[in-house]
Amino acid sequence: MSTDMAKDEGGAHVERWCVQDVAAADVPVLAGLLPAGADLSLPEREAERWWLVRRPGRAACACLRLRPAIGLEQPRHWYHVGCVVHAAAELGLFQRRHTLLLCNDHTGAAELADIVSDAAALDLDQQADALRLLVHHALRHIAQHRGTYPAQLVAELPGVRDAQGRSPFWLGLGAHFYEGDPQEAARRFGPAWRGHVAALLPRQPVYTAFLAADAQSAIAQVAPPARVLMQVLADAGLRYSHHVTVDDGGPVQEGWIDGLPAVLGGGGPRS
Amino acid sequence: MTTTPATDAPGRYLLRPARADDLGALERLASASAIGITSLRTELAGQLERSTQSFASAADDASGEEHYLFVLEDLGAGGRLIGTAGIAASAGFNDRFYSYRNEFIVQASAALGARNRIHTLHLCHDLTGVTLLTGFHIDAAYADTLAPQLLSRGRLMFIAGSPQRFAPRIAAENPGLADDAGQCPFWDAVGRRFFDMDYPQAERRSGGRSPKAWIAELMPQSPLYVPLLPEQAQWALGQLHPVGELPFQILMDEGFDGDTYLNIFDGGPTAEGRVQMLKTVARRRICTARSGPAACDGTGASARVTEPWHLLSAGDGEEFRATVLSMRDEPQLDAATAAALNWRPGTSVHVARLDAVGGEPEVEASPLPRLPDAPEGGEAQRPAWGRP
Repeated sequence: MSTDMAKDEGGAHVERWCVQDVAAADVPVLAGLLPAGADLSLPEREAERWWLVRRPGRAACACLRLRPAIGLEQPRHWYHVGCVVHAAAELGLFQRRHTLLLCNDHTGAAELADIVSDAAALDLDQQADALRLLVHHALRHIAQHRGTYPAQLVAELPGVRDAQGRSPFWLGLGAHFYEGDPQEAARRFGPAWRGHVAALLPRQPVYTAFLAADAQSAIAQVAPPARVLMQVLADAGLRYSHHVTVDDGGPVQEGWIDGLPAVLGGGGPRS
Repeated sequence: MTTTPATDAPGRYLLRPARADDLGALERLASASAIGITSLRTELAGQLERSTQSFASAADDASGEEHYLFVLEDLGAGGRLIGTAGIAASAGFNDRFYSYRNEFIVQASAALGARNRIHTLHLCHDLTGVTLLTGFHIDAAYADTLAPQLLSRGRLMFIAGSPQRFAPRIAAENPGLADDAGQCPFWDAVGRRFFDMDYPQAERRSGGRSPKAWIAELMPQSPLYVPLLPEQAQWALGQLHPVGELPFQILMDEGFDGDTYLNIFDGGPTAEGRVQMLKTVARRRICTARSGPAACDGTGASARVTEPWHLLSAGDGEEFRATVLSMRDEPQLDAATAAALNWRPGTSVHVARLDAVGGEPEVEASPLPRLPDAPEGGEAQRPAWGRP
């Protein structure tokens, strides 16, 4: 267990927020924060960690799971967002077209997974603070156990959905290949559900031009509530990797661990 | 249809290589149809010249560039020209011939209990180099007669007689669905996404330089997932424009496969087959003809035909002639027919029994236009792939 002081510039709150390993007693609270189908098992291996942020005297308000190497037991799938240029000088045409290619590109990478903060209990600044604590903690942990983790670190961000939880990206692409309800599948199968669904998805590049307009514009767009997380990850050095999740088209951010500021210099969450 | 349908009579129709002096008649045919075959005099003249050279070339010296143009005469109407059709020796000669090939991928997830049969379209060059039947056009008044049968199948008699000139595989493009305004559901769903223009517009902008190849190179090179296409475009796959019904029916009867390849622009079916397996080619046999009295008065006004109809061809290259007559074992040629065929007593002919009896009524036959502008609303009797 480690602790960190969360401070904002004005020193408005000075309570000590702790980052701790998740204990069995915390799971019900975190289950309420996490999306359906999230992994709720306590880590069994040393290299996998599940941390939460606790404010003094209160329930957990954020959590993050560090996975040491993903996709080695159950394949993980993403779409790689590629670009194809169709040019014909004779026709006066020069057109860029994007493609989606189902892949397992991030197999073997470490993952910051199931990152969530309690939007009901924390304002945006507090959410950013909590998430920074968790991400920095995870990166310092990796730095201290560098040999345990691979070269690459990724994090998936949730994509855009409507008020009913429907994803335009899913409706424009995945729904043509799996008629079932993806959220129901997520509840039923847990994190493995995407692998099951991926077995039904196109294996060849799909030109995004064939998708409905709202599905196209959802590619790599992050859900508004997760923008704060996107910024925290970007500040930590993780960038959009031209990959999106297969269910809602949310972006994947990636970083090369040895080049991340927190690993290089050990700077604090605010550095 | 305004004219009275012609009555079939033995020897009434004559299929022969087009000649330079057919230009005027071909122009009239082209302007009557308003689609498909070019009505540009210079272009037609060029096609005629190329065809004349092709027929005159030595059969064992064929380059693959040959394009043979045939015309159909109604001898019962003074030799009026009532149809035309062609054969390109080698599809996509010197370049590639693009098609979409229908393929199906089955994907399953045991855990989800789900199983998908996914229809995909693969851009391919499979038909490059095969012999291509082209430009079928018949005067609409003759759609129900044996004339279109001779026009279409007579070409197979020519091919069977000169195998050195042709490939063992044969194909024919057929027009897909399009409406009056030239709007084509398949093009709108596929090509337009890569061109932002109508197909005829894209064709014009190519400046006449083998437009199909230019355009095809701009199309997606990876397979198209049919489930991602709009419903209208999915239904249009492999659907025939009504104007293509008659020539397509004849090809199906010959044993062509109409389910494997699609035209990459309008989604119409490209029929394909092996020459040796086609009905007319398999039935074709050599036999001795005899001179004899006319089986009827030649106009067919009171012809009573009791023996089976046969295609009959004589000669090779530019001497090739074909007609339809009724016969049992050996044909009997009257003087007029013998003259039309350039047949001399003592020489042999080839015959193939014909069991088709004309097309369906009220079907307008036309050549194979890229984007026909005839009205939509044809029979959608052929199953659309990948639909429940």
